[in-house]
Amino acid sequence: MTNELNPQPDLMIFLASSVHDMKNSVSVLSSHLENLLAENTADTLPGYAQTAKMLYEVKRVNCNLVQLLTLYKVGEQHYPFESSEHSVDELVKEVLMQNQSVFESLKIEVTTDYQSDLTWYFDEDLINGVISHALNNASNYTEDKIKLIIRTVDKFLEIRVEDNGRGYPKAMLEQGALLARGVSFATGSTGLGLYFSAVVAGMHKNRGRSGGITLENGGTWNGGCFVLRLP
Amino acid sequence: MTTNAPVAWAEKSYLIVDDFQNMREMIKQMLRALGAKKIEQAANGAEAIKLLKAHRFDVVLCDFNMGAGRSGQQVLEEARVTDLIGPASIWLMVTAEKSAEFVMGAAEQQPDEYLLKPVTETVLVSRLNRAWGRKQIFRDIDLAYTAKDYLKAIRLCDENIAKAPVHATELLRMKARLLIKCGESTQASEIFEKILADRDVIWAMTGLAKIYLQDSEFEKAQKLLENVIEGQAYCIEAYDLLALALQKQNQLVEAEKVLIDVAKLSPNSSVRQKNLGEISLKLGNVEIAEKAFRKSIATGEFSVTKNPDAFFGLARICAGKRGDKESQLLLTNVQKMFDTDSVRLRAQITEGLTYHDSGQWAKARQSADALGRMLQTAKEKPDAHLCLEMAELMFATGNKEAPVDLLQDVVKNNNENQALLADVQRVFDKGRMSEKGAELVAAWCNEAKDTMNKGVLLWKEGKLDEAADWLRNARKEWPNNTRFLMNLTHVLISCMQKTGYDPVLLDEARTSLLQAEKLEHDRKRFAKLMESLEALRVANT
Repeated sequence: MTNELNPQPDLMIFLASSVHDMKNSVSVLSSHLENLLAENTADTLPGYAQTAKMLYEVKRVNCNLVQLLTLYKVGEQHYPFESSEHSVDELVKEVLMQNQSVFESLKIEVTTDYQSDLTWYFDEDLINGVISHALNNASNYTEDKIKLIIRTVDKFLEIRVEDNGRGYPKAMLEQGALLARGVSFATGSTGLGLYFSAVVAGMHKNRGRSGGITLENGGTWNGGCFVLRLP
Repeated sequence: MTTNAPVAWAEKSYLIVDDFQNMREMIKQMLRALGAKKIEQAANGAEAIKLLKAHRFDVVLCDFNMGAGRSGQQVLEEARVTDLIGPASIWLMVTAEKSAEFVMGAAEQQPDEYLLKPVTETVLVSRLNRAWGRKQIFRDIDLAYTAKDYLKAIRLCDENIAKAPVHATELLRMKARLLIKCGESTQASEIFEKILADRDVIWAMTGLAKIYLQDSEFEKAQKLLENVIEGQAYCIEAYDLLALALQKQNQLVEAEKVLIDVAKLSPNSSVRQKNLGEISLKLGNVEIAEKAFRKSIATGEFSVTKNPDAFFGLARICAGKRGDKESQLLLTNVQKMFDTDSVRLRAQITEGLTYHDSGQWAKARQSADALGRMLQTAKEKPDAHLCLEMAELMFATGNKEAPVDLLQDVVKNNNENQALLADVQRVFDKGRMSEKGAELVAAWCNEAKDTMNKGVLLWKEGKLDEAADWLRNARKEWPNNTRFLMNLTHVLISCMQKTGYDPVLLDEARTSLLQAEKLEHDRKRFAKLMESLEALRVANT
């Protein structure tokens, strides 16, 4: 009998609870930064541009932590997945509001294109996470414009996030293609966000059809396009 | 969306319920940022209820998990059931993580929105606006629903489906629920099937399953519910319904398993734990039953919907396992907690049954005699099935008179329920009174029928006051005969239509109809009578 603690207990449990904890801290950090930016302009706050960049990074970390936690719960079959009918308008409004501070401070113009009475079936929290991730990603790649287009195509809801940047690098398009074909293994180079999006899309099923994601270059401005399809 | 005008959140009154001071402060700051001034705080469920009784709040932000005392869900239930918040108030439930209890309508009372922690100002505003938008559509429907004017609520659903296409499915769901309440299951089925043509939508599947259950198509219900659970493992309601379908097919072992599974997903339901306890007890799984009954009592402690059933189940188990002492204590406690004649009678019969179970015949006899004496003075009788159980116990202990009186009540209150009449006959058979019993049952049925016909005749002859008096007397003698109760309502409505509105008559008609609603009743007729009553009330107040 020894009193020494095992330095390698079930790390997953610690990881999950720490991620939960970190997520809360990061979110407090994020709201402080948001307030700071909201109360100031580039003239009143020295380092406004850096603060905006900080907010972008903090949001990215927050996004990642939420994705990690969700994937963990899905894996443990603890995630209460719920596909129910939602208003697309409500979803879009909320996602945009949540990311508005980033767009404003990075001076990105976001436009939308969808019918306001459109409704669809999905897990609201998960799809909010996927779109947020795509918008956040596009904020990084875009020149100064992002467009969110939502419509129904062949009984699928198609959600497109397009930007006017130079498009996705080749390696990322390849990863996207692998995930789209349902190759489910993740390698170290697979982005967490992309993997999360593919898993979430695949969880949405209807009458034998599943959701999916694709990455393309093209769209309105011949830039990067993230496409999510939900049955 | 019907309104795009910004909502005046600054003018609204708010209640924040959370056991953490920091959390309350944080939310308060967010509300202040919206310009809100009227903000109250409560650190636990008891404080919240006190404040809810003192003020009408426009918005309640309530933490789901508050340590000791009432849970957020229990505060919500109590506020809604005891009418501390109206249909126009917004209830936001704040929670650390998404859990099975929140999804797919697991609980009967649903908050307007869930907010996942950490709460941000953006999401708070977004959800407030969203809830507000929905209230604009559903407020009048909810009001009609609360007033039990289901036909009016259905008309309002139809009107809004055209006006607010974004809420069309939600309105159809509400309409289907209302149609079932009005006894129009066929129309409700049509809605469910229309929805299911494109997609396996959970509420439509469970809705259809409920209709199957109602129509005694238990196997069909079972298959459908098994499909639901296979597709959505977190649909709590489907498990409860599946357990019921299995129980009705007498597959108790399977029903028990389903309830054990769902109790793991959602352990804090007093009713579910009680159901598990009762099934396990029937199967002789005393350990599981005891645990479930104890859990039921513990979770029910702070719940407005608590019920005494688990106490009686546990009392019988305790008597068998550890003698009479703990059992007696439970029976004393349950009478303190639920101060009604019905509970006192049930405590008495449970005591008698525990003596009977353990072969203490003399004590069982004493207990049954005491029960007979209580029955003579009790103002309210327990439900018919319990009456049968009591009659059986009294017959078994050699009492031949009190049970006959009891069975007379059951028959006269349920003279058209053939299944129940057959049960009554079986009790007579066990009491070795087959022939005499059959004679009595026939005579009581005739008496009830004659009384009914006399009332109808008076009404047809236009002697409305006499008809009302006749039925009032009938109601005194047989307070739970739904046909008498509904006929009385009908006659009183006729009286008011002829001689004018009278608030006293309206109240009498309403009380009588609501009593019928508590029993097995004709839903179509209920809906029509309630619609007439509400029309009279609205036109005159």
